[in-house]
Amino acid sequence: MRNAVGREIPERIGSRDVEAYRGPFALRRDGRKVARHQKGAPRSEDKLLPSIDAAIEACGLSDGMTISFHHSFRDGDRVINLVLDACARAGLKDLRLFPTALFPTHQPVIEHVRNGVVSRIEGSMNGPVGAFVSQGGRLAEPAVLRSHGGRWRAVEAGDVAIDVAFIAAPQADPYGNANGIRGKTPCGPISFATVDARHARQTVVITNDLQPYPVYPMEIEQGWTDWVVVVDEIGDPASIASGTLQLTRSPTNLRIARLTADAVVASPYFVDGFSFQGGAGGISLAVTSHLGDEMERAGIVGSFGMGGGTKMLVGVLHSGLIRAILDGQAFDLDAIASIRDDAAHVMIDPGFYANFDSRGCATYQLDTAFLGATEVDLDFNVNVNTHSDGRLLHGIGGHQDVASGAAMTMITIPALRGRMPMIRDRVTTVTTPGEVVDVVVTERGLAVNPRREDLSERFVAAGLPVRSLEEIKAEVERLVRPVGRPIFGEEIIAAIEWRDGTVIDVVRKVEGWE
Amino acid sequence: MAVRIGSEEKGDCLVEVEPGRDGVTVETKNKDLLEGGIRAVVREAVAALGVDASVRIVETGALDYVIAARVEAAARAAAPDRALPIVPSVDRAASQRDRPRRSRLYAPGNRPRLLAGIEVHGADCILLDLEDAVPLSEKEAARILVKHLLATIRFPGEVWVRINPIDAGGCGDVEEIVLGRPHGICLPKAESVADVRALSELLSRIELDRGVDEGTTWIMPILETAAGVLHAEEIAGADPRVVALAFGAEDYTRDVGARRRWDALLYARSRIVAAAASAGIQASDTVFADLDDVSGLAEECARARDLGFDGKGAINPRQLPAIHRAFSPTKDELDYARRVVAAAEGAEANGAGAVALDGRMVDRPVLERALRTINYAGRLAGRGEER
Repeated sequence: MRNAVGREIPERIGSRDVEAYRGPFALRRDGRKVARHQKGAPRSEDKLLPSIDAAIEACGLSDGMTISFHHSFRDGDRVINLVLDACARAGLKDLRLFPTALFPTHQPVIEHVRNGVVSRIEGSMNGPVGAFVSQGGRLAEPAVLRSHGGRWRAVEAGDVAIDVAFIAAPQADPYGNANGIRGKTPCGPISFATVDARHARQTVVITNDLQPYPVYPMEIEQGWTDWVVVVDEIGDPASIASGTLQLTRSPTNLRIARLTADAVVASPYFVDGFSFQGGAGGISLAVTSHLGDEMERAGIVGSFGMGGGTKMLVGVLHSGLIRAILDGQAFDLDAIASIRDDAAHVMIDPGFYANFDSRGCATYQLDTAFLGATEVDLDFNVNVNTHSDGRLLHGIGGHQDVASGAAMTMITIPALRGRMPMIRDRVTTVTTPGEVVDVVVTERGLAVNPRREDLSERFVAAGLPVRSLEEIKAEVERLVRPVGRPIFGEEIIAAIEWRDGTVIDVVRKVEGWE
Repeated sequence: MAVRIGSEEKGDCLVEVEPGRDGVTVETKNKDLLEGGIRAVVREAVAALGVDASVRIVETGALDYVIAARVEAAARAAAPDRALPIVPSVDRAASQRDRPRRSRLYAPGNRPRLLAGIEVHGADCILLDLEDAVPLSEKEAARILVKHLLATIRFPGEVWVRINPIDAGGCGDVEEIVLGRPHGICLPKAESVADVRALSELLSRIELDRGVDEGTTWIMPILETAAGVLHAEEIAGADPRVVALAFGAEDYTRDVGARRRWDALLYARSRIVAAAASAGIQASDTVFADLDDVSGLAEECARARDLGFDGKGAINPRQLPAIHRAFSPTKDELDYARRVVAAAEGAEANGAGAVALDGRMVDRPVLERALRTINYAGRLAGRGEER
């Protein structure tokens, strides 16, 4: 069947019946979600266990079960590898891995797939695991990728039943309260894991910094925690909270950032109460910095900025240019300190952020957002998952959630990366439909979605270089010969869910190139 | 003998050419998608050169023109008597001699990474440098690269090339790069009328050879020695191709033994502005070297503007907004100019000879200056984005 963005989607993917994507807000669910797993507790109970192996045994983890993890340690995470090694030692097979995201540091997952410990993966795959899955044929079921909000929804809706949630926590107490913003190796909020902790059959908190009861804030609560394990190391601080923060010096990226900021200023949203989401990429950081300057110049006070929190965003808050930051992740130590010390820097979880089935998402309150992409196409569709060679190399993150939520969604992308043109006739994979994308900003000009005539009029009046995607594409095609294209087979290696749980696209195995 | 040209820096490619054999070997990070295109570019360049040669290329993000340039440079070095210079087809019209030139954005002619996208930043002039930025060993490859770049990019402003001094490689530079049809040539260390004439005659000869309208390639002498500054007036009027004088403070301070301070350079700047004005051409100020000193740049721009300069060099696109702001008429200036013109027109309609505005006499020079401001602003506005 063909879905609403024109992609061919099978009726079944693996063992799952597929509902095809129908539109960004076409679904409206009305009903009860899956109840949490409750089992009561005695008046006195010792939750401390001596090792991850002991926890695996205590949880009764067995073949075929689903284990979950959060990614707040990003590429510095140690816990996923520790737990999978312990699972291998316990002789477990066919586990379903349900992380919020995997990073290059999780390369050992590949070995656990090869030796049968893991047979299914549902979660973002950044880097080598994604590349491995792209080669296909190794997993018992195609992978499933969901946005931050989409994953939360899937757990609450019972699409994924978690058997054991393993939660890496920079600080915990023996009764199972835990947080990510204190302790020896803080990583920022661990709120991505709260939905897992509440819904898993068993929850194991793994910490390297056990403190007496009670630790606070209680991001993870005692009432959800079955076991607590202390280990020497849960993450590498150097890769946890500083890795992504690089201010760009590339003239191309700086040009894109400047145009993006200028477009925001020219938009109807740049008035008191203005809100925006920035990320930790080089372009986003530069835009955030420009916007701070522009707000100061114009005497505008914004309502809120949304994270991942960064030093740059914190600077905007502390200059009094926005009233609050809403943050589910922190990308550097300044952001972590700010969350800890400033009541206006509010920790939120992905449910608050973007649960499609809830009665309100923070993303719907956004005026504007600037997001990256691996490709865009002439219909403004955006790919963030695969590269033009067809390999699956990135997760969705909050892309769909923010793009469909913000009143003005801007995609920042160079028209050329090396010899690779980034504006395609059709994106390799649709992550986010063009229907929710308003502006594409390249170093060669801004393209405005024809639905947003109002914006292009304002941009032109402000002297900004408004051009069509076709024009920009033609311009870079004068600089490079056409590139090859992957030839896809029938085999599906991953399903890309829209944030409502329908399937917006599938990633097929690459069989060759033309 | 095999020759290697280029580098494995991002945006570049390393090309090895061995004459007298055949075959193309391509190494690239993304072979599946890119190999076919790269191979086609190499084959086309080899065919245009008219030599038999085997080519091995290690590609690291090079655009087509970079690949063609690297292949050409390697083949010509490997078979100097057989490989013919590639004559690209170029579609570029000559520019107006008095068009706005608020900024001239420098880019090193030997670094594809820094040349890529140089045309997107909205500079009034791009200045591709073959002189100071390019080490001696890369001079030949750089001029070939600049030729291919010139032939490829579409740019709404002007493209200029800074050649080496005429007696130090400049002739060879001109022979090559004129095939890419630049709008103008920056002549470094210009010190005399003879320097400018020599370049002009060389250009005339090449324009004639190539069937290009004679006299349509402009010259911007750079005055960066004591002798150059002292001869500013003759140099400004040396040739109809000269459309602007540029000041080069770095070399000038070294030549006269000055320290780089505003006061120390005031004489040279003033003299250059006066010389340019008396010849009816533009004056462009030296570059500001400290990229991170945003307020310093703005201040120097404002002072240069006050002195009478029309524009300034930029070493990085980040400097363009401040430069463009300083050298564009302000809203107040434009409003005043419009009122001057309105007052003068009113006086003419009434048959009055002279007219006063805000208690001040509007005479011929005031009116001319107002018209110039309005025209200038109009031309800037007509070019879209630049601010």
